[in-house]
Amino acid sequence: MKLRLLLASGAIALGLSSSGLRSAETVKVGVLHSLSGTMAISETSLRDILLFTFDEINARGGVLGRKIEPVVVDGASNWPLFAEKAKQLLEQDKVAVTFGCWTSVSRKSVLPVYERNNGLLFYPVQYEGEEESQNVAYTAEAVNQQATPAVDYYLKEGKKKFYLLGSDYVYPQTTNLVLLEYLLSKGVPLANIGGGFRRDGSGKIISAGKYTPFGHIDYQQIVAEIKQFAASGDACVISTLNGDTNVPFFKEYAASGLTSETCPVVSFSISEDEFRGLPADKLVGQLGCWTYFQSLNTPANKKFVADFQTWLKKSNVPGLVKEGRVTCSPMVLSYVGVYIWKAAVEKAGSFEVDKVRAAWKSGLTFDGPGGKVTTQKNMHLTKNVYIGETRADGQFKIVSSFENVYGEPWLKGKFK
Amino acid sequence: MKALLLLPCLLAFFANATVWAAESASPRALVARAAAESERAQTRQLLSAAVGRADETVAPLLDAWRRDTLFLHSRADGGRIAVLLSGEKDDRGAQSALRADDGQPLQDEAGRPMRLVAADLPTAEHDASLRRTMKAILDLAELAAADPGRRTRSVRNLGLAQDVEKLPVLLARETVESAPEVRRALREAIALLRLKDPREEIRITALQELQAVSSLATADVLARVIQEESAAGNRRALEAARKAQQAVEWHRTKVDFAGTLFRGLSLGSILLVAALGLAITFGLMRVINMAHGELIAVGAYTTYLTQAFFGSGMTLPCFGLSLPVPGLQLAGSSREAYFIAALPASFLAAATAGLVLERGIIRFLYRRPLESLLATWGVSLVLQQALRLIFGPNNVQVSSPSYLSGNWLVGDVILGWNRVFVIGFALLIVLGMGLVLTRSSLGLLIRASMQNRTMAACLGVRTERVNALTFALGSGLAGLAGAFLSQIGNVGPSLGQGYIIDSFMVVVVGGVGSLGGTILSAFGIGGIDQVLQQYLPLVAPGLAWVPGIGGFLQNLAQDAAVFGKILVLAGIILFLQWRPAGLFSPRSRTLDE
Repeated sequence: MKLRLLLASGAIALGLSSSGLRSAETVKVGVLHSLSGTMAISETSLRDILLFTFDEINARGGVLGRKIEPVVVDGASNWPLFAEKAKQLLEQDKVAVTFGCWTSVSRKSVLPVYERNNGLLFYPVQYEGEEESQNVAYTAEAVNQQATPAVDYYLKEGKKKFYLLGSDYVYPQTTNLVLLEYLLSKGVPLANIGGGFRRDGSGKIISAGKYTPFGHIDYQQIVAEIKQFAASGDACVISTLNGDTNVPFFKEYAASGLTSETCPVVSFSISEDEFRGLPADKLVGQLGCWTYFQSLNTPANKKFVADFQTWLKKSNVPGLVKEGRVTCSPMVLSYVGVYIWKAAVEKAGSFEVDKVRAAWKSGLTFDGPGGKVTTQKNMHLTKNVYIGETRADGQFKIVSSFENVYGEPWLKGKFK
Repeated sequence: MKALLLLPCLLAFFANATVWAAESASPRALVARAAAESERAQTRQLLSAAVGRADETVAPLLDAWRRDTLFLHSRADGGRIAVLLSGEKDDRGAQSALRADDGQPLQDEAGRPMRLVAADLPTAEHDASLRRTMKAILDLAELAAADPGRRTRSVRNLGLAQDVEKLPVLLARETVESAPEVRRALREAIALLRLKDPREEIRITALQELQAVSSLATADVLARVIQEESAAGNRRALEAARKAQQAVEWHRTKVDFAGTLFRGLSLGSILLVAALGLAITFGLMRVINMAHGELIAVGAYTTYLTQAFFGSGMTLPCFGLSLPVPGLQLAGSSREAYFIAALPASFLAAATAGLVLERGIIRFLYRRPLESLLATWGVSLVLQQALRLIFGPNNVQVSSPSYLSGNWLVGDVILGWNRVFVIGFALLIVLGMGLVLTRSSLGLLIRASMQNRTMAACLGVRTERVNALTFALGSGLAGLAGAFLSQIGNVGPSLGQGYIIDSFMVVVVGGVGSLGGTILSAFGIGGIDQVLQQYLPLVAPGLAWVPGIGGFLQNLAQDAAVFGKILVLAGIILFLQWRPAGLFSPRSRTLDE
């Protein structure tokens, strides 16, 4: 009896010490992206880059001496499921931090979960702003780090007429409303802003631009309208069309004889990664605006691209696509996010969310592939913004850059 | 001290040298120097000096610059020189280099012609502002171009720029120009420039001219002129400007109307092409064929494969095996002919898939339509996943051949070649189908078997074979639709999902079993959709009177692409309440109908 008790207590002690040892060695980190469903095409790339970054950090000794242990869950392009998976990550797996979400709707659906559990979510994809949660680290481009620099570029190019076009959901609607205010503040008359307006009872504009549903195919009428809009010259299109609706749009656009010289299109949702499924010859010369392009000619970026390709070759993650891979802004912002989190943890000397947040707010910097980024008090990042022209090989040629742009989420009503 | 004094002189000399060089050099040499210049400001200055002096040698040079095939060679003395590469590549990849400034072969110190490798050389930089200057150079050079279309475009651009200094150039051109469309553009451009004249009389004459021309491009200028003239209180000029604006608006109304008709016709043709296969498999054979969309996708992917076959080939990761698709390595127009070959190929591929489907599954389910619905839905999921496994989850790129990606502009109405082609093609296959069904013996057998399988079998018709052939025919038509849709939209594993509902809608509205009904309903739905998209925003302000929801309706009508679709669907539901059997219901004496 005594012996058995001794044995049992010994086993318990052994179990405790081994589990204690394990948690001392690793730190759990959540990865919450859609690995199936509509958004899988875009979001799987973010999972890949995150796993690459964790491997890179682990190879150099991890964070505070602890290896990163990723907990990958699939949001399956299903927004309520995102919230459930977030809950699982925070309450069961007790992850120190989560990297995840692509669409604004998925972010909005997990937000209450992170706020209730005081978790920390790193969000890497360009978004519409009007949000500033203490539980989200927005490494993403705010509207003034993508949309307004693009307008500045157009204005500098002497454009006078702006046609707003987008997919019908929260990001394009909000962005276009901010852009409308911005254009008006720059002295562009309402008559020179195309796409139509919707007003409330008092006549105030509540929505600007032309919207098409997801999966829309027939762009004949809209392109004919743009052609008339552009007939008098100096016109351009600002497109927040999402995903594969860009294909029928650009095919129709090219067939109607509109080119990047007569009426250029700047798209906020087409990065190198989306480009893989688009007709490159139809997009040559059109513009993109991001805080990173794969074509950036810096040693840091070249090393990053080469390291990622090497990792792809030797990695054995199931279902990993190894051929024809590129790097793009959301991927780099995920990568940068992990390193900023590492820096914040090291500065705080702890994985506790409150301390990590305080470290973020103290102003950390990191030299990433897209240049230097600095954390801000409002949980956003200061970073460089680049405008690129599309080339036939699916890469961008950088034509303009803006350095150290402060990320400002609250833009509605800013420009008067 | 002396050296210090010398410095400003030297600087002045160099500054002058640029200008001096700009004045004396040939336009070609100017452009070549501009390209080689590393200072962007200098490039701009040199290039601007070439505006108005271009000859025919400049255009290819600017074209190479814009397409990143104008290379920069660094000489031993550190200077750079712009070169063009031409001729065959040798085993090193090098081509013979030509100096951009005079077109002579580039020589090394020993006077031997040099050969350079394109990949080793930087290309001449350019940005949008430089490209605009290039455009200005080309515009003026284009005024003398041989092709009237090019002359028209350049005249238009000059007119809209409203740069008064260009007036003499345009007037000079008007005296020698003979082509009517260019003369029309010249009238417009000259009138536009004269609007800048300080004398009111001249401006009024110009406005009357613009009224006569009534071109859409002048709408913005006219709106601006109306503001200016009313601010200045010139009543007569204001009156003339208003009239000109009305003329332009009337022209726009006509263009919109004709354009809407054309777009309706084109959307109708696409619906028709997509639904025609279903009109056979569902309409005639009564198989609720949920896999119709995937048969369309099979056709689209066949087009993709044909494109690869005509090009450089590809390797398909097919269920763990690598399946090589050989490439013919064609180039230019023979490569672009792939689409012609893709039409029969996609028909055959989808027909084969349909044949297998019919023999394997559907023939057991002819008397059980609801089970055929479930079975074909299952097949559609299997096919989708198969496509995803073979071709990957991402969309694939099917390029449009050049003969399908241009347009005709008829009185400001855009007639895209792909759209004209799809209209013509839809009519052609409808005609072909009609002939096969009504004039051939196969058609007779098909109609007999579909009307009453047992009776046809009793009369000696091999109905099993007829069923298989009919289903293959319907599937083949779906494949043809896929070839077309690859020219208009995405090609991805879920391509079929986007068309299946539209296809069923067309067939049901037309009347199941009636080919004529399918045609009418396709064009009807397409036409109504386009009319709503075009005119809903126009009627939107008139919806304010509706009590309670007026504002909501107004805003909804602005979103014509979404609201139009909703209205079409609602209309179809109401229509089917009124006529459940569709536009044309074939009369039959069988008891079950």
